[in-house]
Amino acid sequence: MTTVPPDQVMAQRLAGIARGPVAGRDLDPVTGDGTLLDDPAVRPPLVLNNRTFGEVTDIICGYAENPAPRWWLPALMFFGSIAGLGGMFIGYLVITGIGTWGLNNQVDWAWDITNFVFWIGIGHAGTLISAVLCLLKQKWRTAVNRSAEAMTIFAVICAATFPGIHVGRQWMAWMLLPLPNSNNIWPNFRSPLLWDVFAISTYGTVSLLFWYMGMIPDLATLRDRADRRLRRQVEGGPILLPFVPIRTDKIRAFVYGFLALGWRFSGRHWHRYEAAYLVLAGISTPLVLSVHSIVSFDFATSILPGWHTTIFPPYFVAGAIFGGFAMVLMLLIPARELYPHMKDFLTLRHLENMAKIILVTGMIVGFAYSMEFFIAWYSGNDYELYAFKNRAAGPYWWAYWTMISCNVLSPQVFWVRRFRTSPFIIFLVSLAVTIGMWFERFVIIVTSLHRAFLPAEWGMFHPTPVDIAIFTASVGVFVTLFLLFMRFLPVFAIAELKAVMPAASPHPHGHDGHGGDGHAAGAAPHNGHAPSLPAKGAH
Amino acid sequence: MSQIDQCPSTTKGEKKRAGKAELSAMARAAGTVNGNRVWRSVDELADTSEFRDFLEREFPAGASELDRATREDAAMAGVGAGVGGGVGGETRRDFIKLMGASIALAGAATIPGCRRPDHKIMPYSKDVPEEVIPGKPLFYATSFARPDGGAEGLLVETHEGRPTKLEGNPLHPINRGKVSTWALASIMGLYDPDRLKMVIESTLHEGKVGRSEQAFRAAASSHLKQYDATGGEGLAIIASKKSSPSREAARQQVLARWPKATWVAYAPAQTTGPAEGTRLAFGSPMNEVLNMTREHTRVILSLDRDFLHKEPGEIPNAISFAATRLVLTTADDMSRLYVVESGYTVTGGQADHRLRLAPSRITALAVELARFLLPKVHEPGAEDLIGALAGVAVPAGADIDRHFLEECAKDLLAPENRGKTLIVVGPSQPAEVHALACALNAALDNIGKSVSYSPMSEESAAPSLAALETLAAKIGAGQISTLVCIDTNPVYDAPGHLNFGELFAKVPTTIAHNVELNETNNAATWSVNAAHYLESWGDTQAIDGTIAPVQPMIAPLYGPAVGLQPMSDLEFITFLASADVAARIDGYEIVRANWRRTLGTNFDRSWRRALHDGVAPGTGAAAQAVSVNYGAVGAGVSGLKVAGVPSAAALDVAFVIGNPGDGRYANVAWLQELPEVGTRTVWDNPVLLSPATAVELGLEPEAFTVENPSNVYTEPKYPQARMAEITLGGQSVKAAVWIMPGMADHTLLMTLGYGRTVAGRVADGVGFNLYGLRRGAGEGSRSASGATIAPVAGSHMIASTQNHWTMEGRTSIVRAVDLPAFKKFGDEVQKHTDEFYGRESQLNFAERLGELSHTPPNASIYENPYNRSIGDPDPANVQKPPDDNIHQPTPPLYLVGQQWGMTIDQTTCNGCGACTIACYSENNIPVVGKKEVAKGREMAWIRVDRYFTGDVENPQAMLHQPVLCVHCENAPCETVCPVNATVHGPEGINYMTYNRCIGTRYCANNCPYKVRRFNFFDYGVTKFNGDYLGHDLLEQVVPNTGGITGSGAHNKINPNLIPPRLREKLDEISRMQKNPDVTVRSRGVMEKCSYCIQRINGAKIETKLQNLKGIPEGFFQTACQQACPSNSIVFGDIRNPDSAVSKMRGNARSYALLGYLNTRPRTSHMVRVMNPNPKLVDEARRHSWENPFHHEPGHGDPGHGPDSHGAEPRPSEPGHTFRFDKHRRAEDGGYALSLNVLGAGGRA
Repeated sequence: MTTVPPDQVMAQRLAGIARGPVAGRDLDPVTGDGTLLDDPAVRPPLVLNNRTFGEVTDIICGYAENPAPRWWLPALMFFGSIAGLGGMFIGYLVITGIGTWGLNNQVDWAWDITNFVFWIGIGHAGTLISAVLCLLKQKWRTAVNRSAEAMTIFAVICAATFPGIHVGRQWMAWMLLPLPNSNNIWPNFRSPLLWDVFAISTYGTVSLLFWYMGMIPDLATLRDRADRRLRRQVEGGPILLPFVPIRTDKIRAFVYGFLALGWRFSGRHWHRYEAAYLVLAGISTPLVLSVHSIVSFDFATSILPGWHTTIFPPYFVAGAIFGGFAMVLMLLIPARELYPHMKDFLTLRHLENMAKIILVTGMIVGFAYSMEFFIAWYSGNDYELYAFKNRAAGPYWWAYWTMISCNVLSPQVFWVRRFRTSPFIIFLVSLAVTIGMWFERFVIIVTSLHRAFLPAEWGMFHPTPVDIAIFTASVGVFVTLFLLFMRFLPVFAIAELKAVMPAASPHPHGHDGHGGDGHAAGAAPHNGHAPSLPAKGAH
Repeated sequence: MSQIDQCPSTTKGEKKRAGKAELSAMARAAGTVNGNRVWRSVDELADTSEFRDFLEREFPAGASELDRATREDAAMAGVGAGVGGGVGGETRRDFIKLMGASIALAGAATIPGCRRPDHKIMPYSKDVPEEVIPGKPLFYATSFARPDGGAEGLLVETHEGRPTKLEGNPLHPINRGKVSTWALASIMGLYDPDRLKMVIESTLHEGKVGRSEQAFRAAASSHLKQYDATGGEGLAIIASKKSSPSREAARQQVLARWPKATWVAYAPAQTTGPAEGTRLAFGSPMNEVLNMTREHTRVILSLDRDFLHKEPGEIPNAISFAATRLVLTTADDMSRLYVVESGYTVTGGQADHRLRLAPSRITALAVELARFLLPKVHEPGAEDLIGALAGVAVPAGADIDRHFLEECAKDLLAPENRGKTLIVVGPSQPAEVHALACALNAALDNIGKSVSYSPMSEESAAPSLAALETLAAKIGAGQISTLVCIDTNPVYDAPGHLNFGELFAKVPTTIAHNVELNETNNAATWSVNAAHYLESWGDTQAIDGTIAPVQPMIAPLYGPAVGLQPMSDLEFITFLASADVAARIDGYEIVRANWRRTLGTNFDRSWRRALHDGVAPGTGAAAQAVSVNYGAVGAGVSGLKVAGVPSAAALDVAFVIGNPGDGRYANVAWLQELPEVGTRTVWDNPVLLSPATAVELGLEPEAFTVENPSNVYTEPKYPQARMAEITLGGQSVKAAVWIMPGMADHTLLMTLGYGRTVAGRVADGVGFNLYGLRRGAGEGSRSASGATIAPVAGSHMIASTQNHWTMEGRTSIVRAVDLPAFKKFGDEVQKHTDEFYGRESQLNFAERLGELSHTPPNASIYENPYNRSIGDPDPANVQKPPDDNIHQPTPPLYLVGQQWGMTIDQTTCNGCGACTIACYSENNIPVVGKKEVAKGREMAWIRVDRYFTGDVENPQAMLHQPVLCVHCENAPCETVCPVNATVHGPEGINYMTYNRCIGTRYCANNCPYKVRRFNFFDYGVTKFNGDYLGHDLLEQVVPNTGGITGSGAHNKINPNLIPPRLREKLDEISRMQKNPDVTVRSRGVMEKCSYCIQRINGAKIETKLQNLKGIPEGFFQTACQQACPSNSIVFGDIRNPDSAVSKMRGNARSYALLGYLNTRPRTSHMVRVMNPNPKLVDEARRHSWENPFHHEPGHGDPGHGPDSHGAEPRPSEPGHTFRFDKHRRAEDGGYALSLNVLGAGGRA
């Protein structure tokens, strides 16, 4: 055995040359990669295949630097076209009128607000993962937080569109803002819609800052790699266009350099960065609760049976997390398959964890559904009781039961381990949950409105092609933005990911028996000696 | 208001400034000496040479050219120039008119196109009468001749010479300030952009060619001269039965000129029953004038007569009937109404007891009733009649409820009701039944009390259809060479078997003179545009004989700038009668000449008075003493053939008149969009069937069938009616079939007036023309037997403003009790102590019927700056001092200023819809079209909700509830609007600020009453059904989707879906109707009832100018209140304890709709009280009189133990329970049906 001094080992690891202390022999005999270890004393690996730092950097930066996968451009064009087509429908809506939607005097909100609440809900997982799990020191978050945050931003963009275009006079939507004016007329601060404006803009801003700030070190990495290639006169990728002598690396160096804000990986930078990150996490955490609570106030503060419910804030927040995680999974499971080596970072353990969250939040949501019925009955209010009976048995019964089966029943498969560790099943359930959560909002909004107090004013809502097109467009925008993100930005938090790798373990290499001493908790899997392994394997 | 006493003819010369006195004297002189001399300036009046020079210099070319043209026209007609007196004759007149137009074009006149009547013309410049203040409306009296005879007096609101709204004339004995829907909507006929605009000749070679009025007059007079030789042989005239003395005189002149001419007085929907029946009973035709009073009318029996709606006396009948139904204290009594009818009408909805019966069987019931009644009255002389009745064979049938009949008869016979009853018979019944009713009224000593008779003119009494049939025979025989149609449309509305369209084409020369575009004008050789009644002089006679003037409010809109104006029908008939083309035809002169005879001495003074008041003094004919000739009635009755019970193979048919009248108002979009009573359908006239008959015949609406499961939720599928072919007497018509609760079985109810084909962009292709099934003379009534119906392929969309028929068990919405219950409990006040808040509130009778009696009062966590009485739900407590004002330096705002409020009496409201039309007119509410209504986007600010209770086949009651913004004190809409567009005013009004509204629609979502209306499209400012760019191209791409009216006749695409920039804007003419005091809303903003804020503020300004403290009670009315014929709507200052509204609010019947939400509505509704015959109600209903408050304490929850209320006998009672009850809902046949039928509910 060669005796390399521990300091030197660490230095090699940091330089990306040496691997961490975990060797292939630690693999779980069942799953083959150790991610699904059940032994609480043993930390499952968060990055597989015992990557070196250098490999990690290469893989993740490679997503942005290497030529795009063949499917990428067609996918981008497809979803981009949907988004663009939807933009045209929005244009049509704006120049023609809200009547192009299927709304009427009985149902004044339908798909517009459904979509709004749906997208805002999607956005919740990102902040929860990045902020709440950060504060709770859940290290597994590092693999998903960047893409979840990106998803949040994109979902908020989609969500913010709808309040803007759903008003009757879109060109006057600025009147929602508390702008000083000579008439001294202010918005109505009692209106939950105004609270929405503040909540969403705050949430969007903080999420954007959080996401961007977290990306700075990685953007600097991308910048440096491009710069290094240019300095070394290495082929820096193809030239941008024939006869235009700009290499893509030059663009990269410029753009990433601009975005990296002069980050130089100095200790002082790291120190400031860590502090700021914690502060932003602290700011974001209450937002996770507040935004959807406030969105739920749109309904809860009204007097409409079916809306006027105190259970809404927690119920909406749980639902948002529920739907948000489902959407994260829907995006990452295909990405994991499509991008090389992504499975090393997004392990089954990650998927299982998120599946468990879906199971829990799904049951919270299910509890809320049943509680609504109980309270409606318990209140003794005939109008209230009717509203809920009408949900389940009225003309929109199919929407209600779609919601129940997607949101309450489908996550129950996650009680079975085999299902919650199967990416395919998880994907299907996530898809169901996403559909179910859309219907949840539809059910709340439309079934409550369409049969309110006076039977003479009962009506129905039927979507029009414009309704459908604009919703589809929002999906197009969302996926388009996500594809661009996957192509041009660091998909994982490289720096953070390295910190949770075995290679970052300060322990000297090998079998010196110091494992599990509480250093850098969770940073490295237990690399203990042979005695622990059979025991683990026997599980 | 203070302006009503001003009219264009009262020249206030005395008030003029001194310097002007001489000129105005000259003006008067000029006006009276020579009617031809109009003057537009003093120079012109004086006819100075300078003025002539000025004219020559200014407009030499055009003037001389037109001058020549006129001369040539006259020369062509072989008539010398210079007739008519004065220098220059008609050419001079034309010349001056040209001047007027030219000056207008040059911008010298302020209001182009708006002109005073010729004879008192005032240019709109500084010489304008001093009472004319720009921006302030003036009110002039005129009158409206109803198409079905009779008339209504009107006050016309004019803004700068532009009439904008019609209101009832308070001085007219018929209206007493109220107004019918037709009269209200007729202003839209004036501004109808599809009106006939010029004379059109249909020539052989050139097709249709526009002609000048002069050319027509020349051609017509030369053409008609040929009949002078033959005394009118070969000439036929079909004229409407307009009730007008001057027109009658003109008719006499025509008949004097051509004694052998055929004159058909034609009203397509009229029946001969009333005229012939009264002729039978009294010897001469009589108008029946109902005069119901509280004291003298206790029991009313209507045999298929909708006396509250769509008949000449609807307004006075509604007023007086409502008066007999008003219950304010527990000591008050009300009349009892029995109705026997085939389908629900407005009157049927008011009935305390209603029997559904096929029209032919109503005859049977009448005979049975007379048989039962007459022998018990011991009327001398009636023995013959009794004998004759005994001889009438009445086929038995279970459909005639003997119990009903006998109890009703006993009620009529009861000694306390002696002379206080009334029996009326409707148009479906033959003359014999009308005569029988006269006899019964006489026997029951009612004549001269509840009912009186005034002579009917021969023209009104003339049988329309028989005359038309005779004429048709003559045309068929080629005996008619010229046919003139005046104000009629026989090509459209003649009975189908006459094939009148083809006959019309056979006549060599046809002349049609009409205001609106119609089928007859389209087919005529000469289509002549008439002046609207708001553009011309005339007079009318109401059913009680009152004569009223018709005076022009505006110059004819489509009159030529130069030349003769279009003629009104009066002028046209006079023109026909006149010897030649050059005769001066001037409505003003004609009316004055006629009135000179009526008014007698001191004519000018009384003429001006009459114009001012809108009625000719002393013309109301005194009721004529009549005596029934029982023998004649008996002789008539003995010939009566009573039909048996109709069956599926031989259905009964009843024709009723729809909202567009007999079809003439079809192009008035307000009336198309006004829901039909009962069905609440708009833009359509499906044939109505009872649900049982529909099921039996396989004609139930589509979604009702099993094979069409519930996929109606994902795609916009509106209620679909089946198409069917109806055959009657050899004629058949395809129409949609719809169901209606309360219809007699095996009876088809057919609404006339729809299915126009040449009417304009609104009406073309809307609905079905059912005139094709009408039979001609002989039947005379509006009913028939022996129809068959068979389904045909296809379906038809039905747009209804209300797809639910019942209250779904929510009986606290329209609270209804029976009179005994009200009498017993009405004065009780329930003290309600809330344990939690320790507050005590008082609940009146009405509130005890609702949720508040068993829910804790809500308390607002917000302080209402205008009302400190937090949590006190009783609206009557508004004047109580606040609980705790120690910390309040200022008293609550509700204790200052004027606080507006409204009450709506659901007992007297009959659902006629006058309020809705008045609101459309006053508040510039746009119509949206059938498709948009089907989507639920109608814009009416005041709607009348209609609910049925009881069985779907035979509902116990049809309840009406007008709902408009109730102006909540704790308004849910206000808190949620993010931009402060809807805010509360210090006078308790919920303001809607259109230019702050961005259209989030949150307010509408949060409004429990759903009274807010959103402009989903540019309804208000783009043209209805208008054209758009790329019209043809787009329709190729997107094929027939029904268009905006669902007719597909004009636009295949719903033009609303076209961006407004590509669409036609509202035309100038339609814009003229808009009330300038009310904003026309753009798309994307919310709107709702404002309590006519413009009227409140107008009154405020007026009272301020007059130094009054506040607005006195009755100083102004809201538009709906003003129109309501039954005075159901009361508006005013609720802070003023003496105001009518505060008394009504304090009444025991007043409750807050959905008051338990603590919205504290300013509009309260009043409990509907019904007055059933105790002998005709079952035990359960009688039981409810002992305890009307039986709410289920557990709200339908079986888990709750029964308490003192719940121990009562339960759901065996037949639905007359006004409470929350799930059993009630489950039993509610209409509930399941409405869900299934109307595609809103789903799985069967």
